Amino acid sequence: MVDLYLGELEQIVLLAVLRLGDDAYAIPILEQIERQAGRKIARGALYTALARLEQKGCLRSRLGEPLAERGGRARRYFAVTPSAVRALKESRAALMRLWRGLEVLE
Amino acid sequence: MKRFALWLLERSLHDREEFEMIAGDLEESSGSRSGTWHLGQVIGIARHATFRGVDRGPSTGDSLMRTTLRDARLAFRALRKRPALTTVIALTLGLGLGANAAVFNLIDRLILRPFPFLDPDRIMLLAETGKGLDFKKESVSPANFRDWRDRTTTMTSLSATQWWDANLTDRGNPERVQGAQVSAGFFDALGMHPALGRGFVLDDETFGRHRIVVISDLLWERRFQRDPTAIGRRMMVDGEPYTIVGVAPQRFSFPDGAMIWAPLSFDPKTPPPRNRHYLTVVGRLKPGRTLEDASSEMNLIAARLAQEYPDDNRDHGIATFTLSAGFLDEGTGTLMGLWQASAFIVLLIACANIANLQLARAAERRRETGVRLALGASRTRILRELLTESLALAAVSVPFALGFAWLFLVVMRAAMPANIIRFVPGWETIGPDFRLLAFTTVLAFATACIFGVLPAIQAARSRVVETLKDGGRTATGRHLLRRAIVVLEMTIALPLLVAAGLGVIGTNRLLNGPQGYNPDGILTMKLVLPDRTYADDAARRTFVTRTLAALAPIPGVVQVGIANNAPATGSSSSRVIEIDGHPAADPKNPPEVGNEVVTPRYFQTLQIPIQRGRGFTDADRQETAPVAIVSESMARKYWPGEDPIGRRLRVKDGPWLTVVGIAGDVIQDWFMRRNVPTLYRVFDQAPTDYFGIVVRTAGDPASLATPVREALLRVDASQPVFDLMTMRRQLHERTIGLQYLAGVMGVFAAISLLLAAVGLYAVMAYMLAQRTQEIGIRMALGASGRDVMRLTVGDALKLAGLGAVLGTGLSMALNRLMEAGLLGIATGSVQVLIIFAGILLATALAAAYFPARRAAMLDPNTALRVQ
Repeated sequence: MVDLYLGELEQIVLLAVLRLGDDAYAIPILEQIERQAGRKIARGALYTALARLEQKGCLRSRLGEPLAERGGRARRYFAVTPSAVRALKESRAALMRLWRGLEVLE
Repeated sequence: MKRFALWLLERSLHDREEFEMIAGDLEESSGSRSGTWHLGQVIGIARHATFRGVDRGPSTGDSLMRTTLRDARLAFRALRKRPALTTVIALTLGLGLGANAAVFNLIDRLILRPFPFLDPDRIMLLAETGKGLDFKKESVSPANFRDWRDRTTTMTSLSATQWWDANLTDRGNPERVQGAQVSAGFFDALGMHPALGRGFVLDDETFGRHRIVVISDLLWERRFQRDPTAIGRRMMVDGEPYTIVGVAPQRFSFPDGAMIWAPLSFDPKTPPPRNRHYLTVVGRLKPGRTLEDASSEMNLIAARLAQEYPDDNRDHGIATFTLSAGFLDEGTGTLMGLWQASAFIVLLIACANIANLQLARAAERRRETGVRLALGASRTRILRELLTESLALAAVSVPFALGFAWLFLVVMRAAMPANIIRFVPGWETIGPDFRLLAFTTVLAFATACIFGVLPAIQAARSRVVETLKDGGRTATGRHLLRRAIVVLEMTIALPLLVAAGLGVIGTNRLLNGPQGYNPDGILTMKLVLPDRTYADDAARRTFVTRTLAALAPIPGVVQVGIANNAPATGSSSSRVIEIDGHPAADPKNPPEVGNEVVTPRYFQTLQIPIQRGRGFTDADRQETAPVAIVSESMARKYWPGEDPIGRRLRVKDGPWLTVVGIAGDVIQDWFMRRNVPTLYRVFDQAPTDYFGIVVRTAGDPASLATPVREALLRVDASQPVFDLMTMRRQLHERTIGLQYLAGVMGVFAAISLLLAAVGLYAVMAYMLAQRTQEIGIRMALGASGRDVMRLTVGDALKLAGLGAVLGTGLSMALNRLMEAGLLGIATGSVQVLIIFAGILLATALAAAYFPARRAAMLDPNTALRVQ
């Protein structure tokens, strides 16, 4: 599974999307990352990551209903594709393999 | 701001869907945050979006866009790696750019487009030209205006306006406001439609039907609390009832901050004169017509009128201007030129500093560059990279520049007195705008090319082998360049220093130097008596007598005087005179002198010395022999080598006056020379209907303002008083233009001196660091710290000295410009030049001292080991 490499930020974004389930659009994704990963990332960086992940086929998106509080614009909800889920598992497994035997560091 | 943010966002994203998403997200998470927040967010997003994918993936062909973006990214990264240096450069450049941006804004608002009217370039100002008609805003005679209006085919709504001191004479609340009497087409010519009611039509000019007014929005608010039923109501103006027919739109206050407009009308008993010139004439070009059309047509009309009325119109022409050009004060152009030149010097010095810093960096990176060249990097590539870095620096400095410009403009606006602002069309609108942003950005990038090109070329030219062989020490050639830059900075800083110094000294002398009278402890005010209530001399005499009687007993009042044109109050007049026994050499060009009509105690009040003879007394009355006092300069000019006392003269067609005394000269107004020949007459023998009152007080004159106003109301409850302020304040306001000139140049000069000093400091510090080994050797061989100091400080002084010598030459050239701009207030002097050259050298000494001391305290052992 070398053909789909995921960077750290990409993994974080994908995991946040997975955790959010049906409610994954940019604002809660950003909050999720801040809350769970304890990292503040720039809004622009998130959009760039989202665009790249969609381009790579890791994310799919659909539009919600237009909302007044968004100035009549719809939310764009993201969902992780099966291939990305595989790649995530792959990355995790690879890391776990590398960690094996290094538990003393913890 | 929010709309601008959205616009920017749309521009920086290629994908419409993504834009919709992000715009929605921003709106949803913005809550009640401002447009600025939006803009901040968008800038962050745009930055990420722009660099998206630039560094990633195999580059498919090195497209120009791609390389440029990569260069930009590298450049910003390089800047971020050196925050201190970047900040210093951005601040330096920001100062230079900010100064230019601020001056640009002033020029843009005051000269290029001062009027907020519809198509201002199509509004014409027509001036009558001829002997003595120097003031183009008030040059047209009423009869000529009427003929122009009847005959023109290139313009519509040709209309005239006349200055009007409108006294709102409601009992108990009298107020004098700036007004204008205007002919019918006036509002149409300017493209102004009343917010309420109507403007004027031709019929309104009919005498008897002319007592109607349009009032300004401000006056409507102040007097009627914006009540729409004000239309049709009456108000007392100059003692007569006027019907309000319209309210002008907000902020319309043309000309000169007018607050009330009435039709310009002539009593049929006294038809409009052709030989008195006081009207301002404006008109609007018909569609398809140009200024040239109007101008050639008016030339024809002028020629025709000169034939028809040779007595009054011989040699008279008509000059056609755009409104902005016609209203432009002659001094403004010079002033802006001086400021722009100063701001440019500041920018140039800033550039020189940055070029120097960049050269130093390039020197540090020579090895890196050498290696890259050896590995096959193209020179163009390296050149482009360095240039991009300069451009990135420019981009970073733009916000600083805007900040400085904004600060500068805020201070400029705050310091200007309100009653001057109305005479400076466009002043109200000074402030940052989109044009300022565009100008600053373009200038920033142009500047980047100037300061970036030198180091870039040098880096790209470096020879591969030599840079690699060299132990990292720089060649002397580069030092020479850097030293030359420092000399250049000193050279251009000195003229600015000298010019600013002259301005400050000249203005200060004018403001605080001898005036010919004692301006301390004086309260001044002005009155204009309406013809209706004070129709004849007797009424005016009575008013003055009662006024003097009412003011004298107020506690704290020492002395009261009245003059038609008190000094520094902005009014002056002159009279053609005839001197007994000295017929005018050229009858067409008779002598003309300053015209002062004063009450007897005026001289004591202002403490104007009576040098010979006597002053006026209460015995000089209407029925006694007509007397005159002449100023010292008048005595010298018209009775050279003789004693004027006892001689006779008369104002054109007036009675013969006998000279009884000689008074000291006073400075009537800053732009007049001190020695204007002036004739004084006593009020009782030549009453005027407008005058200033001067009150000498025992304590703080400002504290008497209220009792004085109340006393005047007791004399006539419907007579307004205006410009009530201390004489010191008057002087301040009269010279505000000069103070601005000097102040702004002073600030610019201080900045450039500072920048030049920083530049010298940087070069000295850098060169000494490079010479550490050499200094170590010297000290090891027995040189003392003092020798090292002498060596290094001497070196700095050599540079500064050369700069000072070269700068002296430039100073003389700039001084000439200053003298023209300041009407001789600032005259160049060798002492001033020497003083400022000294200041420059002292600053250079200080800048060189610190690095030199550090060098002198070096431990030779350590110094020798430095690589």
